[in-house]
Amino acid sequence: MSQTVAVLKRVGLILGLPAVLVATWWFTSADSQEFYQPPLSKIVEVFPKTWTSQRIVDDVVPSLGRFVVGFLLAVATGIAVGVAIGSNRALRAFFEPVLEFLRAIPPPVLVPILILVAGIGNDQKVLVIVSGAIWPVLLNTIEGVRSVDPVLVDTCRSYRVRGALRLRMFVLRAASPQIMTGVRQAQQIALILMVISELVAAENGLGYSIVQFQRGFQIPEMWSGVIVLGVIGVLLALLLRLVERRVLVWYHGVRAAERSQR
Amino acid sequence: MLEIQSLRKVYDGHGRQVEALRDVTFSVGDGEFVCVVGPSGCGKTTLLRTIGGLLAPTSGTVTVAGQTVSGPPDQLAVVFQEYGRSLFPWLKVYENVELPLKAKGMPKARRAELVNQALASVGLLGAGTAWPWQLSGGMQQRVAIARALAYEPRVLLMDEPFAAVDAQTRADLEDLVRSVWRETGVTLLFVTHDIDESVYLGQRVVVLSSSPTTVVEDIRIDLPDERDQLNTRGLPLFVELRSHIYSLIQKAKRTADTR
Repeated sequence: MSQTVAVLKRVGLILGLPAVLVATWWFTSADSQEFYQPPLSKIVEVFPKTWTSQRIVDDVVPSLGRFVVGFLLAVATGIAVGVAIGSNRALRAFFEPVLEFLRAIPPPVLVPILILVAGIGNDQKVLVIVSGAIWPVLLNTIEGVRSVDPVLVDTCRSYRVRGALRLRMFVLRAASPQIMTGVRQAQQIALILMVISELVAAENGLGYSIVQFQRGFQIPEMWSGVIVLGVIGVLLALLLRLVERRVLVWYHGVRAAERSQR
Repeated sequence: MLEIQSLRKVYDGHGRQVEALRDVTFSVGDGEFVCVVGPSGCGKTTLLRTIGGLLAPTSGTVTVAGQTVSGPPDQLAVVFQEYGRSLFPWLKVYENVELPLKAKGMPKARRAELVNQALASVGLLGAGTAWPWQLSGGMQQRVAIARALAYEPRVLLMDEPFAAVDAQTRADLEDLVRSVWRETGVTLLFVTHDIDESVYLGQRVVVLSSSPTTVVEDIRIDLPDERDQLNTRGLPLFVELRSHIYSLIQKAKRTADTR
């Protein structure tokens, strides 16, 4: 019984504010005559007509495909390069100033440049995503690899744990909490850049659809696209949290053990 | 089995030279249990890291089983002082003990045999699926000892392994180390700052001076092989050796202060 109450309480806490916000939007917009701010009821009404399975195949799937490829490419490259730079002091001194410069460039300004270099196809859009999403992964991996515990470094040396085994069982695992922090940020940036890359010189995609609706004065449809984007963002974050829970079981355990000691 | 010859280590940093070890010479015979004791800050850890091949000496040599040490020797295992930090927190207890064997390229069945045997000899056979951080400090140090045993070293180095556990756990672990040593016949070098512990455990105690370190005296501990916490510590010989070493260390400290 008390367990049911506890569950209800948690659900209430999670959904409480969203419910209030949606309700506020619903009622304050109910009699809206403003062309650009249609009633939420109107947006909900056009939603199923707008997001048909055809449109999902034509626009949502290509967007998500580019997101997934760009995001995974950014994560894999970021970790690989980050491990190399992080484990070598000379490489670090050599690369750090350049990395600081590159990181400081806002990725959207790269869109026109990348169009010149890579055209206007999928490659260019994936490159835009990678160019922004790689930095948090790369920099966090460098930091995580750099700050491994010296006692564990000695342990590996003493027991001759080297090469691929050392990388897999020590370096990557030790850096994994930092790496996951970078991956979480990369996911958000990748989603933003997915949309941005579709605003210019695109022929399909979520960002493209939203701009098309806006230009065609289909304002409720435009709003419904924004909602779709929001929902996708939430789902991706949840998915990532599930992955993190698996990868960092030990880390949360250590933290909990330390807390209970104090 | 273990020869330490005129070992000297000078740290060079920020234009200042610090001589940690001046001249350390002693040897440990095959299957012998030797304790190294000295005043705090006497370069014990430097000595141990040099013997373990983790630190290159400025001059002098370390020989393990006839081979000069130039990196971590494959016949040697180390139990570190910081048990909480020397176990991999992302590996279960079993995997922690197994990892060095994987590095040796040992087949899985043989690994399982050695890991289970080692866990059993430290009384942790049932704890293989636990995470290290779920265990108490004393149990974590047992895991570290099991990892060293499974590695089947000829020489086992222990660096103040019980410095951070409570007194009762410490007594249990001391007896555990004694029994493991007697069962396996491993050559054991045990570094500690605790005089009682060194006399209780060792067949010999090497007393070090303050830094820059030299060997003050190499003492035979002629206590019976069967030792127990209650009786051994009450023996007149135990008390005598203990006071002798205590006075040596006090003297070493004083000369360090006046220098």
